[in-house]
Amino acid sequence: MSRREDVLKALIFLSPVAAVLFSALLGRYPLGPREVYESVLAALAPGLIHSPSRVAEEIVVYYRLPRILTAGVVGAALSVSGAGLQAMFRNPLVSPYILGISAGAGFGAALAIAFLPPNFPVEVTAFAFGVLAFTLTLMIARAGGGEIPVISLILSGIIVTALFTAALSLVKFVAPNPHRLAAIVFWLMGSFANSGWGELSRLTPLVLASTAVLVAMRWRFNVLSLSDEEVKALGINPMRDRLIALSACALATSSSVAVAGIIGWAGLMIPHIVRLALGPDNRVVIPCSAVLGATYMVLADDVARCLTPEEIPIGIITTLLGVPLFAYLLRRASRVWR
Amino acid sequence: MRGPAMSGRTVIKVEGLTYSYGPLKALRGVSFEVREGEVVSIVGPNGSGKTTLLKCVMRILKPSGTIYLDGKRLSELGMRDVAKLAGYVPQEHHPVFTYRVIDFVLLGRAPHHSMFSAPSRKEVELCMKVLKSLGIEHLAERPYTSLSGGQAQLVLIARALAQGAKILLLDEPTAHLDYSNQFKVLKVIRELTHSGRVKASIMTLHDPNQAMLFSDKAVLLKDGEVVAVGKPEDVLTPERLRDVYGIEFTALRHKGISIIIPYL
Repeated sequence: MSRREDVLKALIFLSPVAAVLFSALLGRYPLGPREVYESVLAALAPGLIHSPSRVAEEIVVYYRLPRILTAGVVGAALSVSGAGLQAMFRNPLVSPYILGISAGAGFGAALAIAFLPPNFPVEVTAFAFGVLAFTLTLMIARAGGGEIPVISLILSGIIVTALFTAALSLVKFVAPNPHRLAAIVFWLMGSFANSGWGELSRLTPLVLASTAVLVAMRWRFNVLSLSDEEVKALGINPMRDRLIALSACALATSSSVAVAGIIGWAGLMIPHIVRLALGPDNRVVIPCSAVLGATYMVLADDVARCLTPEEIPIGIITTLLGVPLFAYLLRRASRVWR
Repeated sequence: MRGPAMSGRTVIKVEGLTYSYGPLKALRGVSFEVREGEVVSIVGPNGSGKTTLLKCVMRILKPSGTIYLDGKRLSELGMRDVAKLAGYVPQEHHPVFTYRVIDFVLLGRAPHHSMFSAPSRKEVELCMKVLKSLGIEHLAERPYTSLSGGQAQLVLIARALAQGAKILLLDEPTAHLDYSNQFKVLKVIRELTHSGRVKASIMTLHDPNQAMLFSDKAVLLKDGEVVAVGKPEDVLTPERLRDVYGIEFTALRHKGISIIIPYL
C-alpha cells in the first residue's frame, strides 16, 4: 500500500463525519453553526449544556439529524451491497437491485399505500415483499436443483423484477383514488423526508448486522470473484458462501428500500469510484464503499432537501448525479475491468 | 535428466474411475498410479476426458470409483483438506478485476481460512517467497491483467504452491503459450517435482514430444478409456497414436531421445 492510498483511505473514513457535521447546518430554517452544534450537545448531555432554543433543538435533533443519519445508513447499505454483489457476480455493472428486491419492495409499498389505512407503516410491507422477491429469485434460480450459476441468478432476478413491476402497475391502475396514486409514485422515487428516529432505529440494526457480515467476508470476496471451479479447487463451497453473502446484501437492501424507497445508482457508482481510486482488492473496496456510500447519500440528500423550496425526490438526484459520473468513469476506467 | 527412480511410494492412486456428464460417458474405468517424484502426462485427443480426469482428482467433479491422495481416500476428505493437498492450475484464468499479482497468489491461502478471516502479513511473506522461488518476484505489484501468457501461467502455479499443495494438477499448462514459454513452464513443473518441492504433478498435454521430454509417465486416453500407461516412450508409440488420433506417425531417435512426428 502506497502513501497516497493510505491518505485516500483516511480521507474516505473521515468523510462521513464531515458530511454529517456540514449537513446539520443546512436547512430551510436559518440556524447558525453555534445553535446547531449546541443543540446536538444539549441533546447528548442535557445536564451539561443548555439548548440555545426550543425551536433550534426541535429542528436539529428531531428533523435534521435522524434524516441525515438515515441517509448515511441507507447509502452505506446500498454501496456495500453493490460492492459485494459485483465481486460475487464477477461483473462491475451489477447493482443491489439486480435480485428483484427493489421491484418487490416497490410493490409491497404500493400495496400498503393504495389499500391499507394511511397510518399503516409502509416499510413493513415494503420490507416483506423485498425479502419475498429475493427468496423467489433464489428459488427460480435453483429450480435446476443443487448449484446456482451466476447467470441463472441474474436471469431469475430479471424475471422476478418483471413480475413485481407488472404487479405494481396493476396496483397503480386500480388504486382507489388519485392521492394514493400520487403517493405511490412519490414513494417510488425515493425520499428521506419522513425519516425520523423511529425509522432509523428499525433500519440501523439490520444494516449494521448485514454490513458487519459483508465486511468480515471482505477477503473472501476476492476468492469468490474467481470462477466456480477455481473457488472449489481452493477448497471453498461457492454455494454456501454465496448464499450467506447474498442474504446479507438482500437484508441491507430490502431494509433500505423499505425506509427510503428506490434510490438508484449509488450502489453501482460508489464501489466503482473506490475501485478506481484504490484498486480492486475487496479487503479495501468493501469497507471503503460502505463509508463513502454514507457520505455520498448524506450529500445527495442535502441537495434533495435544500436545492429548491419544494423537496426533490432523492432518487432523481442520485440518478442525475450518477449517470454523467458513470458515463465519465466508463470512458476513463475501461482499464479497471479489462 | 531423467526422473528419479520409479520406486517411490504411491502418491496418487486412481481406481476404476467413471464419470458421466448426463448421458455422455466422459471417463470409463480409468486406473493408474502416480509415485513420489513423478511428473505424469495425460495425453489424448479433445474430448478424450483429460480435463475431466483432473477435475475428478481435484474433486471439483464427483466420479464413481476410488481415488487416493497421499494415502487418503479422496471421498473421505473435506474440500479444504483436498485443497491443502492438491493445487489445481487451470488452463487460463479470466480475470474480471485487476488484482495485483501478490493479491492473486494470496488467494491460494483460501483453504487455510474461515469465511471471516483474512491472510496475515506472514502469509504475504510466504507468497513473496513462492514468487521468488519461481523467479517472478518482480511481478508482485503488477496487475494480473498486464501479464503475458507465460507469466500468468507461472503466477497460477505460484498460487497452487501458496496453497501448500503437495500435488500439482495442471490443465494444459502449455496452451496459449509461445514456444519458449511452453518449455519454460514445463521445466518449472519438472524441477518442482524432481526437487521434492511437490510430491507429484499430473498435467494434460497435447504434444506427445513434450510428454516424452518432460514427464516420467504417460497416460494415453481415448474416449474416456486408458489406452496405455507407463514410460512415455513405451506408451506414445506411432501405432498407438495412430489408433488414437487417426493419423500416421513415425518415431525417430536422436541422441537417446525419442521424437514422434506426424506425416500426411
